Amino acid sequence: MSSEEHLKQTDTEARFEFKKEEASAFKTEKGLTEETVRVISDDKDEPEWMLQRRLRALKHFQNMPMPTDWPEIPDLSEVDVAEIVPYIRPDIDVRGGVDDWTDLPEDIKDTFDKLGIPEAEKNALSGVGAQYESEIVYQNMQEQWEEKGVIFCDMDKAVRDHEEIVKEYFMTKCVPPSDNKFAALHGAIWSGGSFVYVPEDTTVEMPIQAYFRMNSEGMGQFEHTLIIAEKGSEVHYIEGCSAPKYSAFNLHSGGVEVFVKENAHVQYSTVQNWSKSTYNLNTKRAIVEKNGRMEWISGSMGSKATMLYPASILKGRGASDNHITIAFAGEGQNIDTGAKVYHNAPETKSTIESKSISKDGGRTNYRGLVHIADGAYDSSTAVECDALMFDNESISDTMPYMEINESRVDVAHEATVGKIGDEDIFYLQSRGLDDDDAKQMIVSGFIEPLTEELPIEYAVELNRLVELEMEGSLG
Amino acid sequence: MSVQVPASISAETVEEISAQRDEPDWLLEHRLTALSALDGLDLPDVIQTPGRRWTNLEALDFEQLVDPLNQSDETERVDAEGASVLSFVEALDTHEELVREHFGSIVDPEENYLTALSAALFTTGTVIYVPEGVDAEDITIRAEMNSRSLFSQTLVITEKSSSATILESIETGTAVTDDRFFSNIVEVVAGENSYVQFGSLQNLDEETYHVTLKRAVTDTYATANWIEGNIGSRLTRSDVETKLNGDGSETKIVGAFFGHNDQHLDVNARVWHRAEHTTADLVTRGVLDDVARSVYEGVQDVGEGAWNTSSYQRENTLMLSDESEADASPKLIIKNHDTEASHSATVGQVDQEDLLYMMSRAIDFQTARNMLVEGFFVPVFEEIDVDAFREDLSDLVIARLN
Repeated sequence: MSSEEHLKQTDTEARFEFKKEEASAFKTEKGLTEETVRVISDDKDEPEWMLQRRLRALKHFQNMPMPTDWPEIPDLSEVDVAEIVPYIRPDIDVRGGVDDWTDLPEDIKDTFDKLGIPEAEKNALSGVGAQYESEIVYQNMQEQWEEKGVIFCDMDKAVRDHEEIVKEYFMTKCVPPSDNKFAALHGAIWSGGSFVYVPEDTTVEMPIQAYFRMNSEGMGQFEHTLIIAEKGSEVHYIEGCSAPKYSAFNLHSGGVEVFVKENAHVQYSTVQNWSKSTYNLNTKRAIVEKNGRMEWISGSMGSKATMLYPASILKGRGASDNHITIAFAGEGQNIDTGAKVYHNAPETKSTIESKSISKDGGRTNYRGLVHIADGAYDSSTAVECDALMFDNESISDTMPYMEINESRVDVAHEATVGKIGDEDIFYLQSRGLDDDDAKQMIVSGFIEPLTEELPIEYAVELNRLVELEMEGSLG
Repeated sequence: MSVQVPASISAETVEEISAQRDEPDWLLEHRLTALSALDGLDLPDVIQTPGRRWTNLEALDFEQLVDPLNQSDETERVDAEGASVLSFVEALDTHEELVREHFGSIVDPEENYLTALSAALFTTGTVIYVPEGVDAEDITIRAEMNSRSLFSQTLVITEKSSSATILESIETGTAVTDDRFFSNIVEVVAGENSYVQFGSLQNLDEETYHVTLKRAVTDTYATANWIEGNIGSRLTRSDVETKLNGDGSETKIVGAFFGHNDQHLDVNARVWHRAEHTTADLVTRGVLDDVARSVYEGVQDVGEGAWNTSSYQRENTLMLSDESEADASPKLIIKNHDTEASHSATVGQVDQEDLLYMMSRAIDFQTARNMLVEGFFVPVFEEIDVDAFREDLSDLVIARLN
């Protein structure tokens, strides 16, 4: 069965909105104290230095105020860390994930089957990691990559097996816990996530994927992703996420650190489909060395509120960055997303392409910062934001910030906002399409720059998500 | 954050200013209310990004800058037939009710610390009144600042189907030693189907801190156009704004700046679309030399009821020196989907190919560069209705280039 057929056969609602009984082997109390942090660290049997880092991060979290002074900031007043369960270890025998889907408990296996992960693994991926609640439950990579020295494992295992590397890179150089309140929270209670290490001059031809599923009500997921791409290497990492909807809020606060060494190329793609009761407050950042290339491809479809600004620090001469972001906000959603690029070396280049769609009272905002440091001569940046609005209850904002400290540069920002064109719809209808199909086709065309960057399975998936968002809701 | 009220200002100071000018009671009351509000008010917002505050207004030492009882200026006003162009004091004699009705209606004195300070202490300013159906062309106001601090309040009222083109120029007259402070608040009440172009050209000396807030509110089918030229001052904080409150009303906010030495120019253009079928066009062009720094914020805010809005914004900055810095943030806030909006911002250098071409035609580097910079300002020059203003601005640009 092709994955497209598979998608057709599976009812989309049922694919994301189903719930499973909570079955945990270990679960912390609600809230966050030093004790919670110690308990998590102890349950993971971590080395002392990691516990110390967690405790330091906790101090930062406790001392930092909630961000409130940003213009038009999404409402985070509901986000009370005392109300969430930060850590749930699912009931599985093998820590660090099994490498055969059939070894998983039936309900967890069923979850990922419904999400289509094993199917995708067979067809299009070099490796898969799957996280359920706070821990990775499945982890596998094709042997040919293992033989070449590529490491793809869950983050907890990396702390044990690759301690020296993790100790050097984990929340030290890229995203320190002091960066922002939710990075600090993440540093204190992170659990799960992926560790990817690609040796020099190795190209991982097919993407590797991690899928994050939150099942329980009122929990928080705090996975940490660390990617190190050595000189001349190349890798494409895909991240997917979803959760069923509950009346209580869920919190997702992931941390992503990417190290792109000389001449390396990393593509990081995210299709985020959190439930509309989830707050998605992430910190993602890459440090790019000489002639390295970083690509951030993000589709933000889900969540109640998202605040996500993937950042690239272009540190080496000739480093480049490419952002493609799509935000789709429906009823009750506030998707505040964008990009951040620091040009800290000469001849660096960035392009940011943002597309946003708001409908049924949803709000999208592009919030982005481009900084060109003094001495980063011959750098260029181009930012393009396009927004599409469906109706008059929706809001579309654009807030770019540009800080230019160097004269030999080329900086351009452009943005447009418009409604869906009546003429375009009329034309399509005259060709026999009904109103809904016409609008859907226009939206699919609008987000094409994103879908064409993804492997076909994901492009199809994304289009299905957009269809799902638009079904029956068009006036 | 709120700022300390300078010790040099008290109710007595304000009463003395008011008494010297023989003001009616309501105006004294207006001043005193503003003064008492001062304590709880903040300076206007400035943009803050991680590790960077774009303009540091907190560093202004009002204690040192504000000398309320020794304000002095020399202002020449050229009026137009049928319109009244009066100093604030004269206007109180002849048009008291009109002034009372509109003064402070567009810019609330309690909006921020600077507006309150101005309302309490202003000693100069102009009132322009254009009656229904009158076309008033080439009104000019030329002001010279001759004291340590000067607060000016200007009020423009255009009645139904009238029009006015106004040029205001501000320079430093007699030099006073030490740092100086100039505050300029302009309110424009654009009546139904009226047209106002208000051009302001600021060329204060480079020891003067300059803050200005210019705001227009438009009635149905009215047009309010702004031209804001900033050449002088040590630091400028300029906010030029239009509230499109009437259906079918329009605005154009055109800005030009040219910073050199260590000037800091914080230039803002904002428009609020609050009615149907409104149009806005924001165009700002700036040049930076030496270690000058510019900050630009442009806001296009389209309200929920603003059906069929068109809103455009462009900002271009040219950097002539490697030590200069330019920050820009063009913002769109859209709550109505029946909107066509766009904005763009660029930062760059003089085009190298253009330069090469001109030099290949035997024009030396300096001349070629100057011609390109002049050419860069042409889109702004073209917007200016008052010939004298266009020439003045062009002369200042040329003078700075040489």
